[in-house]
Amino acid sequence: MPIEQIDSDTFLHGLLNDISGRIEQIRQKRDSFLTDAVLLGEIPSPTFGEGDRIRTVVDRFRENGLDNPLVDEFGNASAQLPGTVGESSILIMAHADSVFSPDVRHEIQVGSDFMTGPGIADNAIGLAAMISLPRLLSDLGIQLRDNLILVANSKSLGRANMEGARGFLETMSLPAKAGICVEGSTLGRLSYSGLGTLRGEITLQVPSDYDWKRFGAAGAISHLTGLINKIREIPIPKEPKTQIVFGGLKCGSSYNTSPRQGTLRFEITSEGDEVIGQMEDNLNEICEQFSAETGTLVNMEVVAKRKNCGIPFTHPLVKTTRTIMQEAGITPQVDPSTGDLNALILGGLPAVTLGLTTVENLREVNETVHLEPLYAGMAQLITLIEAIDQGICEV
Amino acid sequence: MSKQKSWLERNTFHHGAFWDLIKLVEEKEKKGLKISLCIPTLNEEKTIGKEVLILRSELMERYPLVDEFAVIDSGSKDKTLEVAANYGADVYLASDILPEVGDKRGKGENLWKAIHQLKGDIICYVDADISNIHPRFVYGLVAPLIHREEITYVKAFYDRPLNYSSGLRPSGGGRVTEILIRPLFALFYPELSNIIQPLSGEYAARREVLEKIPFPIGYGVETSHLLDLYELYGLETFAQTDLDRRVHRNQTTNALGKMSFGILQTFFNRLHSQGKLDKMPDLETFYRRFEVEDGNYSQLIQEVVEEERPPMIQIEGYLNRSLST
Repeated sequence: MPIEQIDSDTFLHGLLNDISGRIEQIRQKRDSFLTDAVLLGEIPSPTFGEGDRIRTVVDRFRENGLDNPLVDEFGNASAQLPGTVGESSILIMAHADSVFSPDVRHEIQVGSDFMTGPGIADNAIGLAAMISLPRLLSDLGIQLRDNLILVANSKSLGRANMEGARGFLETMSLPAKAGICVEGSTLGRLSYSGLGTLRGEITLQVPSDYDWKRFGAAGAISHLTGLINKIREIPIPKEPKTQIVFGGLKCGSSYNTSPRQGTLRFEITSEGDEVIGQMEDNLNEICEQFSAETGTLVNMEVVAKRKNCGIPFTHPLVKTTRTIMQEAGITPQVDPSTGDLNALILGGLPAVTLGLTTVENLREVNETVHLEPLYAGMAQLITLIEAIDQGICEV
Repeated sequence: MSKQKSWLERNTFHHGAFWDLIKLVEEKEKKGLKISLCIPTLNEEKTIGKEVLILRSELMERYPLVDEFAVIDSGSKDKTLEVAANYGADVYLASDILPEVGDKRGKGENLWKAIHQLKGDIICYVDADISNIHPRFVYGLVAPLIHREEITYVKAFYDRPLNYSSGLRPSGGGRVTEILIRPLFALFYPELSNIIQPLSGEYAARREVLEKIPFPIGYGVETSHLLDLYELYGLETFAQTDLDRRVHRNQTTNALGKMSFGILQTFFNRLHSQGKLDKMPDLETFYRRFEVEDGNYSQLIQEVVEEERPPMIQIEGYLNRSLST
């Protein structure tokens, strides 16, 4: 075994020996990151409207004494914790947007062992964990050799198609050697690959000169139902693994009036980029044919499209992450990402996504995070940062 | 009138003026002040965890502004005490404090016993039912006491009320404030009409004034503080801070009626003890409320004279009227 390998193993072994003590230390120091989770979670932050939350993040970076706290042209908040050597950097990213509109009452309830409220899991708690890292590292007596680049990225979800993360990666001034995306949900999550994804919206309109006497004449709801049935007839291959999800249907507002317009939102994910391309062609053909046969106007818009990407299961970053999780009592659940991880990996950065705690009612207004598992979740994050810092996770 | 306007300008603050907590802590330490924070509770498990977590984390651990943090409880049946202790508050049952004076049930009892139990030179009281709790609810109230020695009692006020097309916004308190307290103050204590939200449950005061006044144990405690301290020291020692928005439980009209009944008892007791009932002064005819323009508060004074007509039967024309049959 090469000497370098022995050193890495020895160092990792040392880190892992200490992990239960570290979980306890984090439990003792939990108040500041739980507070940040509540204060940030109560600021509405819909995708494309993250400004207020982002400003609060920058204030926190400033209060924590980080270098270069700023909001960039993409609406991301970032800052750096300089390392003792500072020759390389580690990127920690947590998305600042949430699926909840500002009309939803953003109120977080805090119990002895839980927090509940819209967006607390996705991703107020992840954001707070990222912000609290400099303080926690200091409390735990950890000094990194590498710089830590902290980013709260905007415009991650839905139509935004990771615009913030992609923008940050393209303009990042300090090159990073690895990246970690931090998500509240779910403890055990280990993503090291990004699925090929196509997100789209199909809008169906019944034109004003529509012939309501023709055979099969119907309103937008009936037509969209027919269209969905056609789409469901597209053969979905088992290999490469592929699926289509209908995620939203907006149509109509009354009991007795046929609506004239409706929108269907869908997402195709596949391990094969060529399959996604074929399915996009199929969908376009179906829309065209359906439009011609029914006399309706059908338009498909692709709002986000990304290729498959990833680092190998055997990559030292993935391997080390799995080892750390197991030592922290966390069962790794490999889960390809459709989120910001893709932007990091496609930007050439070895990266993983970690989940921090167990969650109930994800993306519901009563979204709940459990606090007890969170301390192990934070311990895995900090230990992985130390391992990357020590060069253990490089090929 | 000019004296009142000047007080409003000099002693009305916005919490935003005190955002620099590092400076505030320095000033507090320079003056050798100790600050205690007290939350009176009764069955508040839904909101107490967040209040203790945020206020303790921000104002004791991050910025050491508060030296002592106590929850004083009236005997909650839910998990209020467990949750508060879990997030690091010192938890007391009001009945265990000064047991020799007995136990009375009410928020005022907890506030009163806090003076004995807590050690601070300044005591800040914050209600437990604030669902949008933020550190400003404390630093906004204690900062005027740290900066200005002549100020002894600081009240909170909240909420930027609705916009009118004229750009002027009337300053709204709660329903009891607007239809009971403000008219009563305008009639009997016009200077106290400068207090924008006399019933707000958040205030900070120096021990040296709190220990000199009685505490109604129920609904009248906020009103009595204002009346008693005004009688002792006048308006000059009061201040008030705009804390922006406060979200809390909405009370039923029945509950507000009960509250008003308690407040009226306190109010008339003061009128009686100050000789204002026996030697009834001429009633004021000026009604005082607030408007805010460009962030500046000013009093709007309207003359409201309730003229009266005599019984019709005393009117000659009425008596001599010709009745057609």
